[in-house]
Amino acid sequence: MKRFCPLLAVGIVLQAIALQAIVLSGSSRAEEWGAIQGKFVFGGAVPTAGELKTDKDVEVCGKHKLLAEELVVGADKGIANVVVFVRDKGVKVNPDAAKAAAGAKVVLDNKNCRFEPHVTFVQVGQQLVVKNSDTVGHNSNIATIKNAPSNNLIPAGGDTTITFGSDEAVPAQVTCNIHPWMKSWLLVRPNPYAAVSAADGTFVIKDVPVGEVELQFWHEKAGYIGEMTLGGKVEKAAKGRKKVAVAAGGTNLGDIVLDPTLFQK
Amino acid sequence: MMQPKPPYRLHVALVFVAASVAIGCGKTPPASFRLNMVHATKTATPESGLEKPWATWAGNRQQQVATILEAMFGTPDSPVVLPETGLDAAKLQLAAGPVRSDIVGRKNGLYREHCGHCHGISGDGMGPTAAFLNPYPRDYRPGKFKFKSTWRDGKPTHDDLVHLLRQGVAGTSMPSFALLPPAQIDALAEYVRYLSLRGETELALFAYAEQELAGDEQLPTTKEFLVDEMLAPIVEKWQAANEGQIPIAAVPAGVDFSLPANDFANRESVARGKVLFHGDGGCVKCHGVTALGDGQANDYDDWNKTVVAMSGEVADGLQAAHAVSTGDLSPEKLADYRARSEWLHAFADVIEGDALRPRTIPPRNLRLGVYRGGRRPLDIYRRLYTGINGAPMPGIGPSGPGGKGSVADAEIWHIVNYVRSLPYEFDGELGADRPMVAKDRF
Repeated sequence: MKRFCPLLAVGIVLQAIALQAIVLSGSSRAEEWGAIQGKFVFGGAVPTAGELKTDKDVEVCGKHKLLAEELVVGADKGIANVVVFVRDKGVKVNPDAAKAAAGAKVVLDNKNCRFEPHVTFVQVGQQLVVKNSDTVGHNSNIATIKNAPSNNLIPAGGDTTITFGSDEAVPAQVTCNIHPWMKSWLLVRPNPYAAVSAADGTFVIKDVPVGEVELQFWHEKAGYIGEMTLGGKVEKAAKGRKKVAVAAGGTNLGDIVLDPTLFQK
Repeated sequence: MMQPKPPYRLHVALVFVAASVAIGCGKTPPASFRLNMVHATKTATPESGLEKPWATWAGNRQQQVATILEAMFGTPDSPVVLPETGLDAAKLQLAAGPVRSDIVGRKNGLYREHCGHCHGISGDGMGPTAAFLNPYPRDYRPGKFKFKSTWRDGKPTHDDLVHLLRQGVAGTSMPSFALLPPAQIDALAEYVRYLSLRGETELALFAYAEQELAGDEQLPTTKEFLVDEMLAPIVEKWQAANEGQIPIAAVPAGVDFSLPANDFANRESVARGKVLFHGDGGCVKCHGVTALGDGQANDYDDWNKTVVAMSGEVADGLQAAHAVSTGDLSPEKLADYRARSEWLHAFADVIEGDALRPRTIPPRNLRLGVYRGGRRPLDIYRRLYTGINGAPMPGIGPSGPGGKGSVADAEIWHIVNYVRSLPYEFDGELGADRPMVAKDRF
């Protein structure tokens, strides 16, 4: 029987890192990092979010007027909760960014009978604290694929800590079975190079190594974003993938206009 | 489409002629595994700019996955056992194929004799009787099992599967197979593992295709990819099952399982369990204040949920598609629109024809004294500790080794005791049959 050989695997990984270091050190200096930023803009009339039916624990959850969050578009057409991440597997990681991330805990809160934030980004190995600020119990059913899925009951005021050993190709859904309208997403990546667009549609991924990287764009309603308009030019992006050149001073993709038909699913 | 009907007898005769032409006389076609059509279709969302019609494109991918799976796992009549699966070929031989006797008169084809009519030839939980059963038979293909000794996400151990086969699942259509000789039960447990490994590999292949392949790209067919990258991580989880058993806390003082739960000796433990049931355990949320299973939950389990989610998406998609005025679309957009409509219609057919109608999973009525995963205190402890994998029931123990649960491990035994007490009326001072009201909690 052929068995997995950890030593060999470590050897291969080390070799790959060494090779990469040699290749990279030839072409770029250590200080060369740049940010990728941009803003997602909805290419149509601002849609109105429907109200959620909060028919469980009505005395607590019923008093919050909760809106559907599957597509959140601001008054200025900025699209929130679009996920962008660097796809390249062996991408060089800025040591400062890695250090900052290692110490930080990521919090996913059950608050006012919704998940806060709606899309959470956590790195492999980083601690995810799932807490419950409500006065009713919640459960957080995390449907990861490569990592072990979990479903813990979190009593009122309680919390639980989870770490992930592997990255996920697409965000995993997080739901609460007690309150079925509660839905959110969890992105697990192996490095700090991921972002979730803010309420105004903007995102920034800091300290990316200078050179070309492949980004992947995803949104819960649109799935992989297969088409976007950059600087007035329509660009196809198979599987939401797009190669971007990162300059030393940073790269601003400007307005990334997404057609409303992408979200009609 | 009304057509003039031929006279009844001619009609019947025609059916017989057609049938004998189609399958020949006395020959049944060899059994074959069915593809997981829900996942095959779910992962085949049309990309923009597809060159072929969607059905051709998706059909090619399905064909490729079917070919790979047959090479890796064989057919229901002759399973292939790759050494990397760690499966026992001799045991599988006993379970696989049509019901027959081998050269020494030993019965073969056990799976089809005992299991296939409910769980299906492919282990998809869609055998001929499945639609009439409630709950539906387990679909092994996602590799998720409910009643086991391991962490929530862990695979069942071989002993877990054997135990379940011997006990059956109380309150469902799953009978006990305790009358079968141990070697046969062993073979069946191994065959269930085989069907799961096959089903999980299938899911992994479709997921890989969805995430990594663009346009007409094909799945790699190297051993490195198929065995090392796709199969090995799944096999590893099964092989780790024995080390992945949850710790069992010592039973605290004041808990005596040799006595009925409503015995005086258990009164404090049951009272403590009641407080936890209504408090940090959160049990009351779904099982209700009366524990009749009449809390507020009306959710689906994971097997049904995939179909529910997709039905919703397809219905919304078709509605949105009808609202589009195709005359306004550019030729390129029109092609995308057509591919998408084709996918949505195909998916609607798959949901109708290749999946059981989804059902919600009601929380158990704990006053009945019927426990699907077993009635021993240990069984109830395990259900509480990890929750029930694949079902909405969350765990109240830690989610993994070294973690923190919402109720301390040893305290879980008090909830077990309280649950044991629920089917019985209290004659003592507790009056636990009275629903707890707010003032009891403070």
